[in-house]
Amino acid sequence: VSAAALDIADAVLRHTAGDEAEAIVLTEHSGLARFAGSEVHQPTLIDNATVTVRVVRGTRVSVALTNRIDDEGLRDVARRASESADSAPEDPTFPGLPDREPLPDVAGYDEETAELAAADQARLAEAAIAGAGSTLAYGYFTSARTELAVASSRGVAASQAMTDVTTLVLGAGEDLSGYAERTAWRVRDVDPEAVGREAAEKASRTHGALELASGVYRAVLERYAVADLLEYFAYDSLGALGLLEGRSYFTGRIGQAVFDPKITLADDSLDERGLPKAFDFEGQPKQRVPLVEEGVARGVVWDRQAAAQANDAQPSTGSAVPPHVRGFFGPIPLALSLAGGEADSLDELAQVVDDGIHVTRLHYLSVVDPREGVITGMTRDGTFRIRGGKVAEPLVNLRFTLSVPDLLADVPALTREVRLVNSSSYYDERYPYGVLAPALATARFTVTGVGSRPGI
Amino acid sequence: VRDLCERAVEAALASGASYADARVVTRRSQHVLTKNGRVEVVNDVESEGIGVRVLAGNAWGFACDRRLEPAGAEGAAGRAVEFARAAAGSHHRDLASIEPAEGTYRTPCERHPFDVSLEDKIGLCLAAEEAMRRPEIKVTQASVRALQERKTLVSSEGTAVVHELVECGGGIDAIAVSDATFQIRSYPSAHGGISRQSGWEYLDELGLVTEAPRVAEEAAALLQADVCPSGTTDVVIGAEQMALQVHESVGHPTELDRVYGTEASYAGTSFLKPRDLGSLAYGSSHMNILSDATTPGGLGTFAFDDEGVPARREHVVREGVLSGFLTSRETAARIGAGAGGSMRADGWSRMPLVRMTNLHLEPGEGSLEELLAGVREGVYLDTNRSWSIDDKRLNFQFGTQLAREIRNGELGRLLRDATYTGITPVFWASLDGVAGPEEWRLYGVTNCGKGQPGQSAHVSHGAAPARFRSVQVGVQT
Repeated sequence: VSAAALDIADAVLRHTAGDEAEAIVLTEHSGLARFAGSEVHQPTLIDNATVTVRVVRGTRVSVALTNRIDDEGLRDVARRASESADSAPEDPTFPGLPDREPLPDVAGYDEETAELAAADQARLAEAAIAGAGSTLAYGYFTSARTELAVASSRGVAASQAMTDVTTLVLGAGEDLSGYAERTAWRVRDVDPEAVGREAAEKASRTHGALELASGVYRAVLERYAVADLLEYFAYDSLGALGLLEGRSYFTGRIGQAVFDPKITLADDSLDERGLPKAFDFEGQPKQRVPLVEEGVARGVVWDRQAAAQANDAQPSTGSAVPPHVRGFFGPIPLALSLAGGEADSLDELAQVVDDGIHVTRLHYLSVVDPREGVITGMTRDGTFRIRGGKVAEPLVNLRFTLSVPDLLADVPALTREVRLVNSSSYYDERYPYGVLAPALATARFTVTGVGSRPGI
Repeated sequence: VRDLCERAVEAALASGASYADARVVTRRSQHVLTKNGRVEVVNDVESEGIGVRVLAGNAWGFACDRRLEPAGAEGAAGRAVEFARAAAGSHHRDLASIEPAEGTYRTPCERHPFDVSLEDKIGLCLAAEEAMRRPEIKVTQASVRALQERKTLVSSEGTAVVHELVECGGGIDAIAVSDATFQIRSYPSAHGGISRQSGWEYLDELGLVTEAPRVAEEAAALLQADVCPSGTTDVVIGAEQMALQVHESVGHPTELDRVYGTEASYAGTSFLKPRDLGSLAYGSSHMNILSDATTPGGLGTFAFDDEGVPARREHVVREGVLSGFLTSRETAARIGAGAGGSMRADGWSRMPLVRMTNLHLEPGEGSLEELLAGVREGVYLDTNRSWSIDDKRLNFQFGTQLAREIRNGELGRLLRDATYTGITPVFWASLDGVAGPEEWRLYGVTNCGKGQPGQSAHVSHGAAPARFRSVQVGVQT
């Protein structure tokens, strides 16, 4: 199933005249049935193939991309990359292209999912809408077959076909809204009707939301909120460039206790519960990368360029992103995995919190201070007061401005169950990724204001 | 290309669509980013394809194909109709009527950015970086970008228009780090600089190398600055930050698709309702917001939008009152006002959505100094560092790279880590002055996100410094 992308990669390499060259091919065959007001209104079918060519002349490096995959298009993209390489200055820190490495066997491809057609995607979107019942549904069903291949003049020849499925539903009305989402690489692991039902049930409890005074609250964060916070924290703090440039909270803290001992966090692309990957965008093998173990900062993710900039004090962790997007952030974890705890349910977390708030999901996060891991954003689509260990009255959307390390420093409990949360918003080329997260209880969630009420 | 579009439209109609449009887009872009004296990114990206949108029964369908050949065009048309039929809706969808359009629009351009060598682009970035070097600066970075896009739109109603757009831009950042803090200064704007529809002459105007020493000096100075104190105070917000304030708290909430909820599952909705048109007090009488798809140099400038609607220039807020929405043909018909004109798609593989074009805070009068003179005690804020706003665009919080104390009408000590927050209509009601045309600047961003699958729009905002009374600065806990 993965020959096609690798064939394209091999074909473009035949046109490169550089000293060394690498070709990355990402193909996409996807459908997304987006609905609003319980009707599909923006259905999008995409077929595309993107070829990225990196040409190296000595230590001069350049990248060109195209989606023209006929012979003329491949010849042209190779020429553009070669000409650009001639224009680039020498880069003494460039580590050269990597050699071929053995790759792990991973899951992540499902034929039934790969074969879903437009009619199936529309049908599954309708199932999600039906699940929401009389509550109006807003969201989408999407599935895709993507394929990534990396080949190089140094013998790298890696390819992987992947599938992914997501159903997202916002059940909403004039003054109520609830949210649910499921993601998997097998369509049989996602029940759109159940997602719709969950969103509508959540929405039904948000009518008549009340305001809340600013302050520091104990809180239950559902896995959607946990995943969002971890991702935004990771941009600056869990990648090698953030560490090297002093943006990371982990700067000077590797080996130190930074979080609650119940927090163990990894970047793990091999986990079958996630969206598994065998290799990164340089064809280097994926691995489980410990980031935090029992509250102690263990490291960040690296690609070969960042490793070279650190004088090879660290090896690559197989975390290279596509060369055209490496830019500011450098290598970042694309398969965050937070270990679960011992709580059996959200209700049990509410009992632990006793007096606080319940947060379903977050909205529009932004990093206020990367060095201290300070992030602001809003809660949305299911914020409640917790009183006497039980979820109580609904709350309006709350503004929070908090330090993620502070939030994770006192975590009384996490759920045993860990679920995949989709991270992709499907900008540009599709590359499925997500976060494996439990729900958790924290002693410190800092509310700094109130905003809009639930609902449309 | 026009033949290919016509073929797609005909194929869609033959498959049962009642309306169809086809867009062929070929896009090429270059991006150079240097960091700490090394070339981090040299990208040369091209993409082409055809997107076909159909209305079949009561449902939209969209499909695309990268192949610019009859099989690709007709195949996409067939799949679009198939998808529309598979997800048939029950709501009738009217489109505001328009006259069929024909025409070609080209960005005025003195020096095409692709005629500038890659060596010169890299050289400019490295020179700007070199000019930012000083001991306190841990990271310097500079970037330039260029884009050309040729877009052909043909519809089943007889529209056939061509756009040939050229954009370029750039920016620099100096990042200072100490044991205690991390500070950044950027020019001419945060988050990658500013772009315009223009030739390379715009990069010459920017003067990245000339401005670099000041930028680095300010970043270094921020390491020694006091943290901006929290409290309720008067603020004067610089033009650059005002551009983002307009974008987030006026642009997005006036998108009529958000008002109707069709963006609810991702970007959010709006605190506005259709019935608010013509009556809602959005802000003070100093607030005039103009949507203008004809602004010279604007990233949202065109002759026709992606539905073939002629470029429009109209207020969305006039003297503080909501006076218009940003619309598509469908939403304009639904509200019974306007005729669309804000539909834009990101490339060939996405459906058009209601997007901002160029949205400006119109200038008032006087200078920045005159605005400051009206503040006994307050804070001057500029250059965005963080941004967040709720799903209905009510509660916002922005952080800025730079702040300065204002005392007795004059700028005082430098302050760092400033944020300000507010509720949109309350905040705009506190506007009591906008500086004049001489302080007005045009900013352009290329990362406005919306839609599922996601789309990035390129939009411009003109703004001048503005003064607001009694604003919450800093975080209240």
